Amino acid sequence: MFKNYLKIAWRNLWRSKSFSFLNISGLAIGIAAASLIIIWLLNEVSYDRFHTNANRIYNVYNSDLNDGKIGCWNTTPKVMAKAIQQDYPEVETVVRVNWPQQLLFTVGDKKLKAAGNFVDSGFLKMFSFPLIKGTANTVLNNNYSIVITESLSKKLFGNEEAVGKTVLLDNQDNFTVTGVLKDIPTNTQFDFEYLIPWSYMRTKGWDDDFWGNNSTNTFVQLKKEASLASIAPKIKTLRSKYDKESPKMETFLYPISRSYLYGRFDNGKESGGRIETIRLFAIIAIFIILIACINFMNLSTARSEKRAKEVGIRKVVGAEKKSLIGQFLGESILISFIAGVLALIIITISLPYFADLVQKKLSINFSDYRFWLAGFGIILFTGLLAGSYPALYLSGFKPVAVLKGTFKKVNALVTPRKVLVVTQFAFAIILIIGAIIVRQQLLNAQDRQTGYSKDNLVYSFLEGDIEKNYSLIKNELLSSGIATSVTKTSAPITEGWSNSWGIEWQGKNPHDKTVIDRYCADDDICKTAGLQIVQGRDIDLDKYPTDSLAMLLNESAVKHMKFTEPLGQIIKDNDKDWHVVGVVKDFILKSPYRPIEPMIIEGAAGWFNVIQIKMNTIKSTRKNLAAAEAIFKKYNPNYPFEYKFVDEQYAKKFDNEKRTGKLAGLFAFLTIFISCLGLFGLASYMAETRIKEIGVRKVLGASVFSITRMLSKDFLTLVIIAFAVGAPLAFWGMYKWLQDYPYHITIEWWVFALAGFTAILIALLTVSYQAIKAAVANPVKSLRTE
Amino acid sequence: MNNNMIKITDLEKYYRTEEVETIALNKLSIEVKEGEFVAVMGPSGCGKSTLLNILGLLDDADGGSFVFNGIEVAGYNERKRADLRKRNIGFVFQSFNLIDELTVFENVELPLIYNNVKAADRKKRVEEVLDNLKIMHRRNHYPQQLSGGQQQRVAVARAVVNSPKLILADEPTGNLDSSNGNEVMQLLTELNEKGTTIVMVTHSEHDARYSHRIIRMLDGHSVTENILI
Repeated sequence: MFKNYLKIAWRNLWRSKSFSFLNISGLAIGIAAASLIIIWLLNEVSYDRFHTNANRIYNVYNSDLNDGKIGCWNTTPKVMAKAIQQDYPEVETVVRVNWPQQLLFTVGDKKLKAAGNFVDSGFLKMFSFPLIKGTANTVLNNNYSIVITESLSKKLFGNEEAVGKTVLLDNQDNFTVTGVLKDIPTNTQFDFEYLIPWSYMRTKGWDDDFWGNNSTNTFVQLKKEASLASIAPKIKTLRSKYDKESPKMETFLYPISRSYLYGRFDNGKESGGRIETIRLFAIIAIFIILIACINFMNLSTARSEKRAKEVGIRKVVGAEKKSLIGQFLGESILISFIAGVLALIIITISLPYFADLVQKKLSINFSDYRFWLAGFGIILFTGLLAGSYPALYLSGFKPVAVLKGTFKKVNALVTPRKVLVVTQFAFAIILIIGAIIVRQQLLNAQDRQTGYSKDNLVYSFLEGDIEKNYSLIKNELLSSGIATSVTKTSAPITEGWSNSWGIEWQGKNPHDKTVIDRYCADDDICKTAGLQIVQGRDIDLDKYPTDSLAMLLNESAVKHMKFTEPLGQIIKDNDKDWHVVGVVKDFILKSPYRPIEPMIIEGAAGWFNVIQIKMNTIKSTRKNLAAAEAIFKKYNPNYPFEYKFVDEQYAKKFDNEKRTGKLAGLFAFLTIFISCLGLFGLASYMAETRIKEIGVRKVLGASVFSITRMLSKDFLTLVIIAFAVGAPLAFWGMYKWLQDYPYHITIEWWVFALAGFTAILIALLTVSYQAIKAAVANPVKSLRTE
Repeated sequence: MNNNMIKITDLEKYYRTEEVETIALNKLSIEVKEGEFVAVMGPSGCGKSTLLNILGLLDDADGGSFVFNGIEVAGYNERKRADLRKRNIGFVFQSFNLIDELTVFENVELPLIYNNVKAADRKKRVEEVLDNLKIMHRRNHYPQQLSGGQQQRVAVARAVVNSPKLILADEPTGNLDSSNGNEVMQLLTELNEKGTTIVMVTHSEHDARYSHRIIRMLDGHSVTENILI
């Protein structure tokens, strides 16, 4: 029986090639698009879940009340780890991980930079990053031991055995390689090429016992028998025992398996995070499959008259409804299978591009049985979903009716087919509107005044001897005409690295815990970065030697501090008294989507990480950089000269939204495309079934235009209904999306008009091809067929 | 020859549309004995096709009794009817109703497939029937490649392949020229002689003469019965 089904399914496919082509290509594109999304999402949800002890590992978070709102963050004092280990018997291990550091590696003549972390020695026991060489228990026991990844080992030592070899780090200390790690996977929040024991930080005096310095990540692994519920109430009040400054600040443990997907907090409660994107795209994946299935349903049922006779005969010779349902489902699964094979080809070809788009390393593991299982699962699911309605519809035909020719299709006001077309187009319209609004929001944020001048501004980190030779370098850059202005700062102008609620000024409300951004610049910051001075002057050490303790405020800070006369005010920070010499116009330090926060810029008595250079535009950038490299090489010979353009770094702030916009656009296009494949098929069947009517009308004098209009009208009505359904949903969804951005556009009516018009135009083009073809056909031909 | 294969009593069937109710069968009572060859005649719209559909368990009646082979089947649901039908009844239609996508062999094989006959058995029986009806040489052709007469032979082969007790023929010669028509009537007669009960709806007095008895219908009930032998 199965063979018989397969045979007839195959012959049916072969006989109606255009129908099969529409069906299979639509399904293949749908399956491929959905599978790409699924591959991506599976990577996202697997973040840090692969650790053997994943369900026992927690990230330590703080929460604190500020301005009536609870804020949560995961940087802790370095000393907190010791307190947790001592005070809570439930805890098995505590591990600190500091911020990733770029270090210069020197092996013989080879010099290269790599990023990694300083970690406590238990790191490799807590997290499952497998070692190729060395044992997790001992590799980080010595102050000067280092563990490197396989690829860093290759870069440093080629194919030689790395363990036991010595590397010089930052031209300061020699480390011995004690272990080689397998390269770490992409689905983890960690990103390192080396690990250095925390104990090394102690020898350098970088460790501290200060409870006010929340600067490191702390991870806790609970004992097997311990539960979060038992330790949570105890650890909550940890600070009250140790932290004199903020005894009321609370501490809590947050599962690492959740932190990537859910780790966003709003007023002390989890408030989504990446999981929202994942849910959104999961919905999109399901809808794309659904839309491809709808094509299949529509085309299959539209052709029902062709299959009706077969159903009738089979029933007469003894087929039960059950076996007919089986037959039709078998057919749809066959089609879905062919589409699946095609989809696999599409996926294999497009995965690298898609991975690039979502900025993830994605790959298919063909040797993994789960991949094939999932693949067949999707095919089966698609086949059953697509085939279900046609199977029930077709198998329900009464043999008496179809064999006696009294079988006629009903032209009801609402038919499942119409509902399905409306569903497809409503979804497509939602995606179009979404894509337009994301793009508008992006352009709007990109157009926002930064408040500084990004052009010809480059920066480099203060590495090796740069800080020591800073004034020599600066002078040479200026005197050689490479730069018009140079300053050193605490962070790139595109990043806020430091903030504090401990800054004090005259008249400050003692309960005010507003976080104020802190930035440092020794000299000429306004000139170099092009900040606009509203009051007072730039920091100028040459003219005013006391400017090492000078301070600039931005306008928001002046407003927040309620200064009527900001110039000359004394502001206390880090036990120093700074005097305000100028006020600058607000500029975007962090997010172009958020309001600008109060900010202070401290003078030369601050600390510095970055040298910023405003290039002279008389010479080309290439020449300037080549000349600058020579100067840096001269004063900092051990390090390669590395620099970044501020405008490029600023552009990176839009990567997320650009990606969202591109993805929305891509899937809107695919949805429209698949929907139109279906519409094209439906229109051709409609033209086919009404061929006699068209002939008669033409004989009676109907014009080509009036017939085209008659044939297209029904479909356009459906698209208009789809618009009426989709537009409000899109408005609601995009309105919610925009609420995440304090600095956002308002949704305008023309977006909807544009989306609706686009959908109608595309649908019209699709349908009218068939309609015009039917309308211009010679009526003599069509009438003779009777 | 004395057992009743079909006994219907006071059978009623209505067709309703929004405006009108048409009575297709009006308290019709007839009997067909095992081994009989009965022709049903009457003008268009007299209900003979409706009768045939009900006899063939393709349709159910709105009232009355239908005893098939001693079992009351009025009120059977679709599944039970399908089950009874596939084991006992073969159909021959005016428009042949072969499946275009299947070959001659596969068309004839279909009833055996639905009766769960094993593949080897199926092959044997289909070939036997095709051989008997002299269309073996066409076994791998598709219906469109055959003449009308040949198509109807295939349809007859399909109707008898399962050795049904009853064959229902709905104007089996309606789409055929006279020589092909006579051949088909000859085939039916031979089947009847081998013991198969046949009920045939026809407009043709000529064809009706092949039967034992003619039931003439008008407005949903039987008016006369002519016994020919």
